[in-house]
Parts: sequence; C-alpha cells; structure tokens
Amino acid sequence: MQVEYIGAFNIVLGVLARFWPVWVALAIVMGASFLYKKKLGLYGQLFDSGVGIVGVGICLFWLFTAIFASTVAPFDPLAQIPIMKDALPGAIEPKSGLIYLFGGDKLARDVFSRMVYGSQIVLIIAPAATGFALMVGITLGLPAGYYGGKIDTVLSFLANLVLAFPVILLFYLLVTPGIMETPIPYGLAGIFFLFPIIFFSVLFWTRYKNRPDRLYILLGLTLIIGGWVYTGLVFDRDPLKIIHIDPNQLNIFVAVVFASSPGVFRIVRGLVMDIKTRDYVAAAQTRGESPWYIMLWEILPNARGPLIVDACLRIGYTTILLGTLGYFGLGLAPESPDWGTAIKDASRLLRSFIHPALPPTIALMSFVLGLNLLADSLREQSMKD
Amino acid sequence: MNEAVRNPAEPTNGPIIEIENLSISFFTRKGEIPAVMDFSCTVMPGEAMGIVGESGCGKSTVSLGIMRDLSNIGKIVGGKIKFQGKDMGELSDEELRAIRGNKIAMIYQEPMASLNPAMKVGQQLMEVPLIHDKVSKEEAYKRALEMVRSVRLPDPERMMRSYPHQLSGGQQQRIVIAMALLSKPALLLLDEPTTALDVTVEAGIVDLVKGLGEKFGTSMIFVSHNLGLILETCDRITVMYSGEAVETGKIKDVFDRMRHPYTQGLFRSIPLPGADKNSRPLISIPGQLPLPHERPKGCNFGPRCHHFVEGVCNAAEIPMIAVEGHEGHFSRCVRFNEIDWEALPPGAKKVNERVVPGAPVLKIEDLRKYYKVGGSEVFGSSEGRVVKANETISFMARESETVAIVGESGCGKSTLAKVLLGLETASSGTVTLGNKEIQSTGIEKRSVDTVSSIQMVFQNPFDTLNPSHSVGSQIIRTLEKFNVGNNVAERRKRMLELLDLVKLPRAFETRKPRQLSGGQKQRIGVARAFAGDAKVVVADEPVSALDVSVQAAVTELLMDIQRKNKTTMLFISHDLSVVRYIADRVVVMYLGYIVEQGTTDQIFAPPYHPYTEALLSAIPIADTSVVKKHIVLEGDIPSAMNPPSGCPFQTRCGYKKLVPDNLCETKVPPVKHLGDGHMSLCWLADDVLAKMEPVIKFDKEHAAHEGVPDDAPHGSGPGFAGDPPKRPGGKKPS
Repeated sequence: MQVEYIGAFNIVLGVLARFWPVWVALAIVMGASFLYKKKLGLYGQLFDSGVGIVGVGICLFWLFTAIFASTVAPFDPLAQIPIMKDALPGAIEPKSGLIYLFGGDKLARDVFSRMVYGSQIVLIIAPAATGFALMVGITLGLPAGYYGGKIDTVLSFLANLVLAFPVILLFYLLVTPGIMETPIPYGLAGIFFLFPIIFFSVLFWTRYKNRPDRLYILLGLTLIIGGWVYTGLVFDRDPLKIIHIDPNQLNIFVAVVFASSPGVFRIVRGLVMDIKTRDYVAAAQTRGESPWYIMLWEILPNARGPLIVDACLRIGYTTILLGTLGYFGLGLAPESPDWGTAIKDASRLLRSFIHPALPPTIALMSFVLGLNLLADSLREQSMKD
Repeated sequence: MNEAVRNPAEPTNGPIIEIENLSISFFTRKGEIPAVMDFSCTVMPGEAMGIVGESGCGKSTVSLGIMRDLSNIGKIVGGKIKFQGKDMGELSDEELRAIRGNKIAMIYQEPMASLNPAMKVGQQLMEVPLIHDKVSKEEAYKRALEMVRSVRLPDPERMMRSYPHQLSGGQQQRIVIAMALLSKPALLLLDEPTTALDVTVEAGIVDLVKGLGEKFGTSMIFVSHNLGLILETCDRITVMYSGEAVETGKIKDVFDRMRHPYTQGLFRSIPLPGADKNSRPLISIPGQLPLPHERPKGCNFGPRCHHFVEGVCNAAEIPMIAVEGHEGHFSRCVRFNEIDWEALPPGAKKVNERVVPGAPVLKIEDLRKYYKVGGSEVFGSSEGRVVKANETISFMARESETVAIVGESGCGKSTLAKVLLGLETASSGTVTLGNKEIQSTGIEKRSVDTVSSIQMVFQNPFDTLNPSHSVGSQIIRTLEKFNVGNNVAERRKRMLELLDLVKLPRAFETRKPRQLSGGQKQRIGVARAFAGDAKVVVADEPVSALDVSVQAAVTELLMDIQRKNKTTMLFISHDLSVVRYIADRVVVMYLGYIVEQGTTDQIFAPPYHPYTEALLSAIPIADTSVVKKHIVLEGDIPSAMNPPSGCPFQTRCGYKKLVPDNLCETKVPPVKHLGDGHMSLCWLADDVLAKMEPVIKFDKEHAAHEGVPDDAPHGSGPGFAGDPPKRPGGKKPS
C-alpha cells in the first residue's frame, strides 16, 4: 500500500487548522486583555510593548495547546500505525484519512500529536515544580535574610552546597533505580510538599491571630486542602482517587525542586536583607509585630516584583532541565511524549530522518523564548512609571 | 583650540550664560509632560545665581538642560541656551562634549556617586587636565595637587593616593569640587551639593564655594531647596514653582521685598528667628504642588494663593513682570501691585496658649549602649571592637513637653531612639517610662501598654508606609496590635477618626501609599504613632525630608496633636532653626555624649558649649538682617569606632588652647552645672564662658533701614539678641 502525501502549503494550512481552539481562546483572551489593559495593572502594561505582547502570546499559546490537547491532536500520542513508520511530513494515514502533519517517528507514531501532548507534561511539571521551589526558597530565605547570623550561615551553606554539586550528576543519582527503591525520594517529597502547608498556615496565623472568625476558616481550609494533596502526592493514598502522581514523575519533580530552590532562596534572602532596613519594617517592629508577621506581610509583598520575574525565567530553565532529563532518558517513561524524550528518540536517526526531531525542539525553544520575553518585559514595565 | 579661547578669566562683558524662554518636556507613557516652561535667566561672569524651589518644580531639570544631559525621554521643546554668546542648540555633539566638563562643570548631590570607586582620587583628578588640556603627567599631577590644596583638604599627598571610600562625605564633595574646578570652568552647576552632608561639614563647603567666584572668576548656578544656603552663597536668586520661574532678582530684593505670593509663602513657612510656636506660629501654604499634567490655567500658584482673584489670575498665561524700582527684579504675578504684602492669610493668626509641662514621664539615667563589631560568626575570629554609641546619657522629659535631641550623623541619637523603643536593649543605666523600667526589655517582651505608650514617627516619608498595603488597613493593623476597639467595625471607626485628626480626607482609607504625596504620608505616620494614645512620641527628623511649605503644616499638626493629647515629644533633629521653634528643652549630642542640655533659651544664648556654638553658626538662616558669628569647624566628625581620647569634641574644638594642662585630650570633662538645669560637658572655665558672645545677632541698622517691624512682638524668638526681624512680610513699594 502506498502512502500518499500532501504538499508543504497544505501542511502549514493543516497545522494552523488543527490549532483552531487555541486560536479562538487566544483571540478572546488577548483581545479582552488589550481592551481592558488600563485596568489590569502590571499585566495590562505588558500590552504596551511588542516584546510583552509576543511573550504573553507564546506563553498563552502553549497553555491553551496543553488545555485543548485532545482536540488539537488528531492521533493518540502513543498509538503506533505500522505503515506510517518514518513517514515524511504530510503523509495521509490510509485508514482514517487523517494526516501525519509532521510525519511519523521510528515507532510509527504521529510527531505532531506527540508534540501537542508533550506540552501537557511540560506545562504541568515546570510551573508546579517552580511553584514548590518558590515555596521552599521563600520559607527558608525569609528567616535567613531577616535574622541573619547563625540561621543565615547554616542555610546559606546548605544552599551553596546544593548549588555547587553538578546538577546532572545530582539528577543521575536521584533518578537511578537504586536510589528510587530507597525511601529517599519519598522522604524528600514529604519534606518539600510540607513547605506550602507551613507557609500558608504561618501566613494566616500571624495575620489573624486576634481574629478567630477568620483564622479558623483559613487555617482549616489550608490544612484540609494541603493535607488532601499531601496524602495524594506523597503517600499516593488520595481517598478521592483524584490526585495521583507516577513514582517516576514524582522523582523528577523532587529532583527539579531540589535543584532550583537554592536559587530562589538566595534571591529571597538578598531581597529581604534590602527591604528589612526600610522604615515601615521598623514601624512594624515598634508596634510589637512578631518576626514572621513582618517577614510574610511587610517584607514579602514588596519583594514580589523581582520574584515574579524570576519565576518566569525559572519556569523556562525548568523546561530546559526537563528536556535535558528526558534526553538522558532519566525519569519519565520511555514512551512519554514529552519534548525532551522525543528529541532523544529522534536524535538516534538524525542522519536519515530529521523531521521527527524538529517539532519538539522548536516547541521547547519557542516556549522558553516566550517565557524569557515575558520576564524581560515584566522587568522593564515594572521599572517604568 | 588655542589657549585664549579656553581661558575663563578672559574679561568678557557679555553674560556667561543666557537662557531665553527655555521649555523642557519629558515624553512618557502618559504623553508629553512639561517639566520646565518659559524659563529665562542670565548669569554674568563671576556671578552666582541661586535656583530655589520645592521638589518637582523643575530646578534640577534646568541644570541638566544646560548640560544637554536630559535622559532619552527629555527634550528641549522651546527657547534657547546661549553659552558665551553661542547657541548651544546649534552645536554638534562633539562641540558639546568639548564644553561639558571643561567650560561647564557640574557637581551633584551624592559625592560618592560622582567619583569612580575603583580609581584613586589622584588619578581621577589628573584625568581632567590630561584629557582636556593634553598636558604631561607630571604637570597634571602638579595641577591636581594644587587644586586639592586649594579646596582646603588636609594632607593633599595622602588624599591623592586614597580611594574615594577612604574619605568622608565632606572630603569627597571637596574632591568633586576640585575636579570640577581643575578644568577652569566658566560656569559651575551645583545641584544640591550639600544636602547629603552634615550641617557643620556643609558650612565648610559653603565657605569654600563662596570664595570660588572671586578666586577663579567662575560663575555659578546653585540649585537648592534651602533659602538660607542661597542667601549665603549667591548674588541673585530665581524662585521656581511648578516648572516656571515665578520670581527672580537680587538676593536682597527678593528676600526683603518679595513680590510673588509663593515666595512669601515659602518665607512664612520656614522657622525664621522671628517665629514662635505659641505667639507666632508658622503659616503653611495650603494645598499641594499641582501634577505636571494638571496645571491650572493662568497662574500655577492660583489654587493655593490667598490673593487669588477669579478672572484675573486665571484669565491667561502670566508673563514675568518687572518690579518697579528694583533692577532685574521680575515676578510672575499680575496682582503684585494690588496685594497688601503685610496681610496674613485668613485664619493664620492664631495664638496658642503656652503649655505648662506636667510631671516627668520619661527619665533616662546614665544610659550606655555599646555595640560589638567585627569578629566573624562562622570562624569565630579575633575579638571585635566595641563601639560606644551612647555614653552616660541622662535627661528627663515631662508631660506635654517637647525635648529636642540635636546632633549630626553618628552622634548616637538614633541609637538612643532604638533603645527607648525597645529595638535595642541598653548596656547599662536606666530608662523609666511612667514608673516602669524599660531599658532592658526588648520590644517582644514589652506589654501592649508599654508598646503603645511609646511610639515613633519616622524620618523618610517614602519609607514609612508599606507600599503594598492600603493606608486604612495599615492604621487598622496598628489599632489591632494596640487592642483598641473590640471588633473590625469599631477599629475602622477609630481609624477614620484618626484620619480626621491628621486632617486627611476619609477617602484616603482605600488609597495605596504611592497615591499620596510626601506630606500626606507623613501625616499617616503621625496618625499611626498616636493610634494607641501614646504618652511619648519619638519623632526622628519627621519633617527634614519634606518640602518647605509642607514642613510647616506637618510641624504644626504634630504640635496640635501634642497639645491636645498632652503627649511628651522627643524631637530628634539636626536643624537648629526647627528645634528653636518647636522645642521647650534641648539636648545636644556629639559622638554618643550629651554635650549640653537646658531650656531652649539657655541653649541658644551664651554661654555655649563650643560644639553648640559651631552648630548654631553653621545653620544657614534665610534672613538678610541676621549677622552670624563665623565659625567653621576643622575636619570631620570622628568615627565612633575610633573615638578621640578625652573630650569627644577636642579634635575640632577651637577653645582647646584656653584649657590648661591639656585636660581636653586626656580626660572626659565633668558635667558643669550652669544653673536652672543648664548643663554643659566642657573644661572651659567660667570666665571664658562668660565672655562668649551670641552667635546670631540682628543687624539693628539694617532692620531700621528696612522700616517698621510688622506684627511680631519684640524679643519673641528665644535666645536672640536684638529686635526680631520684620520678615516674613515685605512691604509695599514706595
């Protein structure tokens, strides 16, 4: 049976057409944001510069792609259709009449669908891992910067230790089967996932200590939601069976949080050391506020600018890190459609077929580029007045 | 270029710089914002022109416009700047570069920011002749050394070998001035050159700058917010308001017969020697500076002026109008011939009853605070040194009394405040608040009662409020901490009452601090300090960062609330004019010691402690009839890390030679009681003290020449000899 092909122009047209839900969502969100940009604060100001618009656009594009992946992708990312093995871009799958827009890989899976589904994995793990890294970094960075002295010395030393260790080697260690069988990954996960619960509990406790009506509700919510997610993630015993994470993914997650929280720690520590000299911090001290109230409610809100920019950049790094891990075949399952694994698979046959390698590479690059542009423009806009 | 062209001393009869109708705008996201409009001025060779105005009036923009050093969003949109007859707008970039730093030199506020921290001072100085005059290295070194000597720096050779951070602020600023003078500029632009320095150091710099015109024939444009400084350094003055020059003329004309209501308002709101908090309070200018894109039609000052007449002042844009009988005196006021310059604004003439201080509230006895510095935490290295921030501090404050703590940076006044508030604990001695000893109780261990009864107003209005929270929620939080009110609704009610108390609209509840002006923020700071009915309020330079016209309003507010609540106020300041106005008693500190204390009259009248005398002399007073004894202290304040032996002030004291046996250098002097609680830390004998003359005197002849005094009662200013001046007032043109 001979596979038929469509032309290059039709491929482009086909790709654009497949992304239709993304375009619709993008048009609605971008249009609305542009119209009301005056009222949207810093986010609205992003729409004043070309760089900002492009950055927001790219990031939203991948966000919507991940959300609508099942509609956008014509095929199951894991399904193999033997005839399509190493098919060139534009090949028409004879049975369904659908097109392998970017061709097939060596296991006869649709490259386009894999790229689309790959975005889901990247867009879940990268921001979530960054979020946890932020939590860990902030919770440790605040006291280090605020108290200084011994606490600072110890915490900074630990952070430097992690930073000084070669990242790839660290990952190899964390993700090797030998280590995975030990309780180390789950232990680490147990520690890391505790941080958000501690963070929010302290946050509400310090603020509403004297107002029990609010305190009990907020604290209760934190503990219930936090506890539920915690049991789901760390013990994999979610009573509702909603939250579940593969041991593989958990491992990757822990590794990424472990590697990037010292960076956040150092930034937070520096910002706190600067902000704690301000008069409003002294004013809070002279009215007898507790140190944690000052850290969380007086200092942290004023450090948000640099932290938001850093978070954007960090999601980008984490994405690249995930790609690197996938490339080394660490962590995620071998058939996983994530971009790093896809690039690794394609690289084996790079001399004969280049087409399976390009889509995930370009996807990875464009997403990171989008995040960097976003961060750049955030920084620029927040400095203007 | 030949030598004749670059010689600034070349006798030219034409003006050095002529600015004609200069307009500068900034182009921002919100569109064009005019920063300077229709600004004209002429500076003749050897003349010094002062530009004075409040923040945001465009005075710095003018000086940057002359240098053509506006950032990429600033643009000159109209008018001409002629430098030595040449229109600078027509010069190429290369020609401009040849002028900048060579014929026009600029001195900025922050000396450290003007010097390269990675280069030795000598190298930086030598660069100037090397680049502009292309001389040999030896010649450049010679010229640099000579210049360092002529800005009166001690040990010039060592100075040349130092890095900027090894010098003190005053020395750095002298180096910056030397650098500017090395190219023999025809015009020197000084943008607030002494604002970052201490008063006694400032006096030295002013002394240096004053002589420049005569010595080097340099013309100067001196930008400042301080009228007193302008009086001491300049020949002519331009007053700016909201981007426009509103009045210009000779110093004497403008100071004695101002012809613009804004200028008069400025003079009325600074505590000149005639003002008194009870009988003649300051008169602040109502309202605030209009935003650049919300300027009114006609007179910009119209909305704040009590001489405003509808249809006259806001009919058309107002040009500069010449004042008859005064050469070169112009005012941007259409009504200056009709205004009664003696009249006080309605409601301004209130007389407050003198407050009688009650029982002692705060007693400080023999307080010491030492810090250990140095010695790394991790490696536990050698013993750190001890910094003695406070030594044997003893004084007392009574109910509804204002005690001023005066001193320059490093004198320990902020440490004292920290100990009082519990941010630090004392090393020894006692602090008694009411009848509780609080010196060794840190803030965390103090009871809510103690915390709320001693509160603080901070110095920097831009820092005193947390930019992330709304004004209302910050006050409510304070009330919550002080256990005021039982629930949210009660606290909110109290918060609104506090907003009324500090005379702010209740709508400010939901505002973010960035939407408030400096003065408004400081009012919120005051509201917060008084939230828990504080018994003692420590005000750490609460108005020094504010504009002159706002200063008066905030000072009055503080005193009003103090009167009402019978609060004890500790007013920390370096500005003796404000202190004389506001304080009942004064404590003068130097290097951790109290060198003199007594009632305001005792402090401001002889006998003085030598340091108090120097401080008094250093303060620029914006009054042409004041004659001051000229005392400029040598050198800088010693570091608290390495204090001098004996008397803390002995390194700079001019009276040292009058004390026998070298006592000053060997032993800390005993506290000398001069009667009625007046105490001085000095070795000087009684006969020397008795011979001291008052530092500030009014020139009687000058005052007589000026005419009849206005409403000021005679001798109202404490501690001043002679008649009080008639200002602020001016008089009708004859």
